[in-house]
Amino acid sequence: MIKLTNITKIYGKGDLEVPVLHGIDLTVEDGEFIAIMGPSGSGKSTLMNIIGFLDYPTAGTFELNGEPIGSAKERVLARLRNEHIGFVFQQFFMFPRDNAIKNVASPLIYAGVSKRERTERAKQLLDKVGLGDRMKHLPSELSGGQKQRVAIARALVNNPSILLADEPTGALDSKTSEQIMELFTQLNAEGKTVILVTHEEEIAAYANRIITIKDGLIIDDRRER
Amino acid sequence: MNLLESLKIALSSIWNHKVRSVLTMLGIIIGVAAVIIIVAIGQGARKQLTDQMFATDKNAIDIYYEYMPKEGEEGMYWQEPQLTTEDIQTLAEVPGVKAVVGINHAGGQVVYSDTQGDLQITGVGSEYFTAKKIKIVEGRPFYAADTDGLNRAILIDTAARKKFFKETENPIGSIVDINGNPFKVVGVYQSPVPEQYRSSEGELLMPRTVVSMMFGNMEIEQLSVIASDSEKISETGRLAADTLTMKKKLEDGRYTTQNFEEYEAELNKTITLLTLLIGSIAGISLLVGGIGVMNIMLVSVTERTREIGLRKAIGATRARILLQFLIESATLTSLGGMIGIGLASVATILVTKFSPIGAAMNPLIVLIGVSFSALIGIIFGILPANKASKLSPIDALRYE
Repeated sequence: MIKLTNITKIYGKGDLEVPVLHGIDLTVEDGEFIAIMGPSGSGKSTLMNIIGFLDYPTAGTFELNGEPIGSAKERVLARLRNEHIGFVFQQFFMFPRDNAIKNVASPLIYAGVSKRERTERAKQLLDKVGLGDRMKHLPSELSGGQKQRVAIARALVNNPSILLADEPTGALDSKTSEQIMELFTQLNAEGKTVILVTHEEEIAAYANRIITIKDGLIIDDRRER
Repeated sequence: MNLLESLKIALSSIWNHKVRSVLTMLGIIIGVAAVIIIVAIGQGARKQLTDQMFATDKNAIDIYYEYMPKEGEEGMYWQEPQLTTEDIQTLAEVPGVKAVVGINHAGGQVVYSDTQGDLQITGVGSEYFTAKKIKIVEGRPFYAADTDGLNRAILIDTAARKKFFKETENPIGSIVDINGNPFKVVGVYQSPVPEQYRSSEGELLMPRTVVSMMFGNMEIEQLSVIASDSEKISETGRLAADTLTMKKKLEDGRYTTQNFEEYEAELNKTITLLTLLIGSIAGISLLVGGIGVMNIMLVSVTERTREIGLRKAIGATRARILLQFLIESATLTSLGGMIGIGLASVATILVTKFSPIGAAMNPLIVLIGVSFSALIGIIFGILPANKASKLSPIDALRYE
């Protein structure tokens, strides 16, 4: 469970201050499938970065599973990212010279998992996302949809509770987007909390809660179904 | 485990950029190779010079005359006192002196049947053979009677024997012509002079009294004392020189010795200085190489901004990123160092093979070379690695 209370984020200092988030209150229960929507510049990416421990808020409190994450050290944030969050990006972000197995296994290096187990778990997850026959392929030998599957497998490999996806279908055609979204739906059904940032209505429609942000404030929060 | 993992990532990253890595390493390779080669050659040269200096006899010290006129009596020319066999006998009694050798030099045209050649002539006394441990191959050495009696006898060295006589021919008793005068060959000897400093024509020994008479030079041109104790060579030499000065009742000059220790120290100083000088140039090349490594690592950090962002997003701490880049640059420079050592050993072998200098690689310098190049990698890797570790993951991922 994630609980944000009165989160603000201001970039820059002094005269150059750019307030991005103006006091966000948000509670995400385990197992939710949330879409964060909003026009560009609304602050939705900043919010996602804060949820993903990539950035820290200027003010406000952040609780993870009931424990406040105060002004945590960089080292602690890195560990939280490693253990609790799985990232999926619009641009996939692969290690271009590593094959699918190594790409998927990469977070486990920082978790201190042995090589044999890393490979084992990476293979399992590649099977799960339907890439059992592409394990030794380099990213350049994979299609966009396949790359995003590798990225999802990588996000899942250290068994995080939350999947954070930033426009995961932004670089994919509609048919592939559909497949990827179905994969997210399936993972959500298996118990993962999925938070995705998008500006496409059809993609947001897969979620069962849609939060709309504008000018750094939540202006709409509705649950579907 | 962590370190090994980082080393693997570093090696694969170096391997992925082969050309760039080699070019980056070049400065380190050249620097390390230069340092090691120069030190090896320096040591070889030092050893060779020292060996050369004592090639003839470690216990021998030359005594020579020094003109020291009184104030206002300086002349343009001076007469060097004549030395004779008698002086040699006097010096032989000085404590610590094992033997005394007096020689003079000349050169003459030697003719025998239809062979002729210009040979170096050394005029010696009977003491020469025992003092210099001359090996007589055939015939006999000189005796006191040869010197005293102005005997026209010569000994030829093995090279001259080869030149003038057939292998089967017995040279002993043959009469050869030297500058128009007949001489009788009484023996064949093995020259004590190392081969590379010897005339290929050959050389011969003649009683020094005969040389003096025939060529008009002094009976003893070069006087050396052989000490019984090599440790006290300078002391013995000085005592002998003083004895000679007193015996000759010299007023405007004196006998003195060469100081080998001083000479050797001076030589060592020169070589050390040279080694240091060239070594520091090599050091500068290592420094420049290090700066090159830093430059490339900075480029690499910029290029791999996204990779760094991604690594951070999946859980790499700042320390891990720092370590990864430090290990990468240290691995790069250590590899360069090792290649440099490889090159240096090849060069050392070639130098030893094709030049008189026996260059010797010092295992310590090899160790220092590798650790120093690794150190350069770490020092010059700090700035880029720090830059990499400080990248914010969001900015890094957004980097185009």
